[in-house]
Amino acid sequence: MAVTKTEPINGSTTKSSAPPLPSMPLKSDLLSILSLKSLRLKTKQQELLIRVSILCLVYVLAFITRLFSVLRYESMIHEFDPYFNYRTTLFLTQKGFYEFWNWFDSESWYPLGRIIGGTLYPGLMVTAAMMYWGLRFLRFAVHIREVCVLTAPFFASNTTLVAYFFGKEIWDTGAGLVAAVLIAICPGYISRSVAGSYDNEGVAIFALLLTFYLFVKAVNTGSLAWGLASAFGYFYMVSAWGGYVFIINLIPLYVLALLITGRYSMRLYVAYNCMYVLGMLLAMQIRFVGFQHVQSGEHMAAMGVFFLMQVFYFLDWVKHLLNDKKLFEAFLRITVTCAVGVGSIALGVGTASGYISPWSGRFYSLLDPTYAKDHIPIIASVSEHQPTAWSSFMFDFHILLFLFPAGLYFCFKRLSDATIFIVMYGLTSMYFAGVMVRLILVATPAVCLISAIAVSATIKNLTMLLRTKSKVSQTGSTKGTGGGKTSSKAMLDQSQPFQRNGAIALLFGAFYLLSRYAIHCTWVTSEAYSSPSIVLAARGAHGNRVIFDDYREAYYWLRQNTPPDAKVMSWWDYGYQITAMGNRTVIVDNNTWNNTHIATVGRAMSSYEDEAYEIMRSLDVDYVLVVFGGVTGYSSDDINKFLWMVRIGGGVFPVIKEPDYLVNGEYRVDKGAAPKMLNCLMIWNSDLVTSYPHQNHNDLRTYKSIWMYKLSYYRFGELMTEYGKPPGYDRARGVEIGNKDIKLEHLEEAFTTSNWIVRIYKVKPPNNRW
Amino acid sequence: MTVFSLVLLTYFMVVSGIVYDVIVEPPGIGSTQDPYTGSVKPVVFLPGRVNGQYIIEGLSSGFMFVVGGIGIILMDLALDKNRAKSVKVSYATAGISSVVIAYVMSSLKSQCGLSNGVIVEFYDLGYSHLILWC
Repeated sequence: MAVTKTEPINGSTTKSSAPPLPSMPLKSDLLSILSLKSLRLKTKQQELLIRVSILCLVYVLAFITRLFSVLRYESMIHEFDPYFNYRTTLFLTQKGFYEFWNWFDSESWYPLGRIIGGTLYPGLMVTAAMMYWGLRFLRFAVHIREVCVLTAPFFASNTTLVAYFFGKEIWDTGAGLVAAVLIAICPGYISRSVAGSYDNEGVAIFALLLTFYLFVKAVNTGSLAWGLASAFGYFYMVSAWGGYVFIINLIPLYVLALLITGRYSMRLYVAYNCMYVLGMLLAMQIRFVGFQHVQSGEHMAAMGVFFLMQVFYFLDWVKHLLNDKKLFEAFLRITVTCAVGVGSIALGVGTASGYISPWSGRFYSLLDPTYAKDHIPIIASVSEHQPTAWSSFMFDFHILLFLFPAGLYFCFKRLSDATIFIVMYGLTSMYFAGVMVRLILVATPAVCLISAIAVSATIKNLTMLLRTKSKVSQTGSTKGTGGGKTSSKAMLDQSQPFQRNGAIALLFGAFYLLSRYAIHCTWVTSEAYSSPSIVLAARGAHGNRVIFDDYREAYYWLRQNTPPDAKVMSWWDYGYQITAMGNRTVIVDNNTWNNTHIATVGRAMSSYEDEAYEIMRSLDVDYVLVVFGGVTGYSSDDINKFLWMVRIGGGVFPVIKEPDYLVNGEYRVDKGAAPKMLNCLMIWNSDLVTSYPHQNHNDLRTYKSIWMYKLSYYRFGELMTEYGKPPGYDRARGVEIGNKDIKLEHLEEAFTTSNWIVRIYKVKPPNNRW
Repeated sequence: MTVFSLVLLTYFMVVSGIVYDVIVEPPGIGSTQDPYTGSVKPVVFLPGRVNGQYIIEGLSSGFMFVVGGIGIILMDLALDKNRAKSVKVSYATAGISSVVIAYVMSSLKSQCGLSNGVIVEFYDLGYSHLILWC
C-alpha cells in the first residue's frame, strides 16, 4: 500500500516507508466485506443502487417531516379552507360523483345558497376519494378524514420524484438528486402541505411540476406521446387549482422566448400544439373554468402564441418551397405585418365587444400590486396576500437564496431549451412571490431546481479538483517530453496540495451550509408551520404545553345545543368551520364570492345595536359568533380584524366611514378611543358622554354601542386577566378597555368558551308590544 | 452578459422586498426612544413580525444574498483553465470570502429579527405564555 508522491522535496520521489501495521490485513478484509465491491457489482449498477436508495430515503423523508402536528395533537384538519374541502369530499364519498357534480348547497350563504358543483376545483376531492375507494377495495377500513389529512404529505413525496426527473432532464442526475432533497424539506412548500392542510395547493404543486416536466420532455424529444401526457398533466392541474393560469401564461411566454432567440424547431411545434389544443379542450370539462380559455383575457396569450406558431410553420414551409432568398424576405415581411395586424384587430374587436372579458381583479393585482389596496379591500385584507418582505424569503428559502443567482449563471453558461425554461419559470415565479406571500409556494420548485444546479455544478468542480491531482501526477511522470510542459506541470504540482486542501475545505464548507439548511428547515417546520390553527398552544411556566381548544368547543356546542335550522352570523373567516363542524347554516363563509353580502355583515358589525338588529332580522339570524382574544392574548381575533370589516362594509355602504372609528389616525379600544368606536356594538355608557367633554358630539345616538365592541367585551370588565393590572385588561391589545359596563338590548349571551376565545350570542325575538 | 446582469438586478430588487416597500411604505429605518435618557435611537430590524421590514433593512439583506451568489459564481470562474493564475487566485479568494461574509451576515440578521419573531411572550399570574402565531 505504498503511495507514490511526486514532491519537490530534495528533488526525489519519496515512498512512504512506514512499516505495515499488524492490524491492517484485518481492517482491509472488513472494508472489503462492507464495500460494494464485494457484491460484485459493476460501477453502473453501483451508481443505480446509490441513486435508488437516495430517492427512497428522500421519499420517506418528505413524508415524515410533515407529520409534526399529527404527532403533537391529533389527526385533524387544519385552518379554514380545508374544512370546506373535507366537507365536500365527505359528500362525494357518501353520495357519489353525480350528486357531487350537481350539488346545490343551501347551508351556506343564507339565503342565497351556493352552487358548489359549479364553483369548485374538483381535483383534490376526487383524488382523495379515489385513494379512499382504492384503500377500501383492498379492505383497509380507513376513515375518509385520515385519507384527507395524509393526502398532502403523500403528494409532496411524489413531487420529490418528479423533481428528480425534471432535474435529470435539465442538467444531469446529480442535479436531479439534489433537487429532490432540497424540495423535500423546503419550508416554502411545507407551509402548504403539512399533514392536515387539506388544501388545493398540496396537490396542485405536484400537478404543476408534472405538467412542466412533461412539457419540457416533449420539447426536448418532439414526441407526440409526451405532448399528450403534458396535456393530461395540464388537465389535472386545471382541475386542482386556480393557479393554472400561471401555467397557461408561462408556457406561451416560454415558446415566445424560444421563437425570439431563434430556437424554433419541429419539436417545439408538435409539443406546443398538442398541449394547447388538447389541454384547452380538456380544461373546458371543468364547470368552474367553462369557456374561459376562449373568452377570458388571461388566456389570450396562449391563443396568440398558438396562431403565431402556425405563422412560423407556414413561413418555414414557404422558405422550403421558394429558393429565392430576396423574394422570401419580402414575403416574410408582408406576412409578419399581416399576421400581427390581424391578431391585434381580432383582439381589439373581442375586447371592445365584451366577448373577451378583461383580467379579473385577483390576477390583475399581481401585475399591478397597488390595485387591490385601492379597489378591492377583500383581496387586500387576506394576510396571505400581503407583499413579501425579505424576512419571509429568508424564512422560507434560507441558503437557496444564495444558490439561486449562482444557478442562474450556470444555466446561462449552458443554454438549451430546457435551461431557458427553468430560468423563465424561476424569474417569473420569484417576481410573483415578491408580490404576494402566498405565491412563495409556486416559486419553491423553481428555486429548488436552480439551486440544485448550482450545488451540483459547484461540487462537481470541487471533486474534479480533488481527482485531477492524482491524474496529473501520473501523466507528468510518463510524459516527460518538452521543457515547457514539465515546467508547467511542475508549477501545477506545486499548487496541487494547496488546491487539494482548498477543495477539501470548500467541500466541508458546502456540507456545513447544507446541514445548516436542513436544521433550519426542520426547526421552521416544527415551530411555525405545524400549527393546526384551530387548536392554539402555549407554554406554561414549567415548559408544559397548554392547549386551547376553544374553537372546537364552540362548534360542538353549536352542534348540540341549537335547533338544526339555526342560522349563525359571524365574520367570513369562520364560515367553513361552522358549516363543517357545527353543521349549521351560515350567512357568509370563506368563499367570498358575494361582496355585498359580506359588506352587509360588516355593516352590521360596525353599526349601533339598533341598526345591527334590523339587519339581523332581515337576514333571519338566530346566533352571532365572535372571536375574542383579550383573555389569552390571542391576536387574530375579530377586534384586530375590525378595521377590515369597516373597510369592506364601507366599500358598499358609504354610510360606514373609516375615520369615524379612529382617533388621530390610530385605532384604539381604551378610554381614548373614538366615540363611534366605543359606541358601535362596543361600548354603551351614557357616563362616558359626560366624562369626555372634549368630544363635540351632540347627537345621543352616536353614543350607542357599536356592536363588535359590545359583543367582544360584554362582561369582560369584571374579569381579572393579569396579575397587577386592573380588571378588564385586554391582553391582546395591551390596554385596559374604555367601557366596562356593557348592556345588551336585543341579544343575550348564549355561550362563552372556557378561555373566552369564542363567544356566541342568541338573537332575541322582537318585543311583543311596543 | 448584459442579460444576466439585468437578471441579477431584478433578483436583487425582488428579494429586497421592493413590492412591499412600494405598497406598505414603511419608513427607511425605525426608531425607538430610550426610556431613561430620552434620546432617539435607530432600530434597523422590524421587531415582532415575520412579514415586515424597513426599507434599508430589506435592501441590505438583498445585497447580501446577491453578494453570496456572486461569490459562488466567482469560485466557478476561478476554475476556468484559460485564465492567468493570479486572476484565478483572486477570483477564488473573493468568491470564498463573499460567500462566508454573506452567510454570516444573514444568519446574524435572522437571529436578530426572526428567531423570536414568531414568539410573543406574555407574563401574567406567574405564568409566561409563549403563543405562536404566523
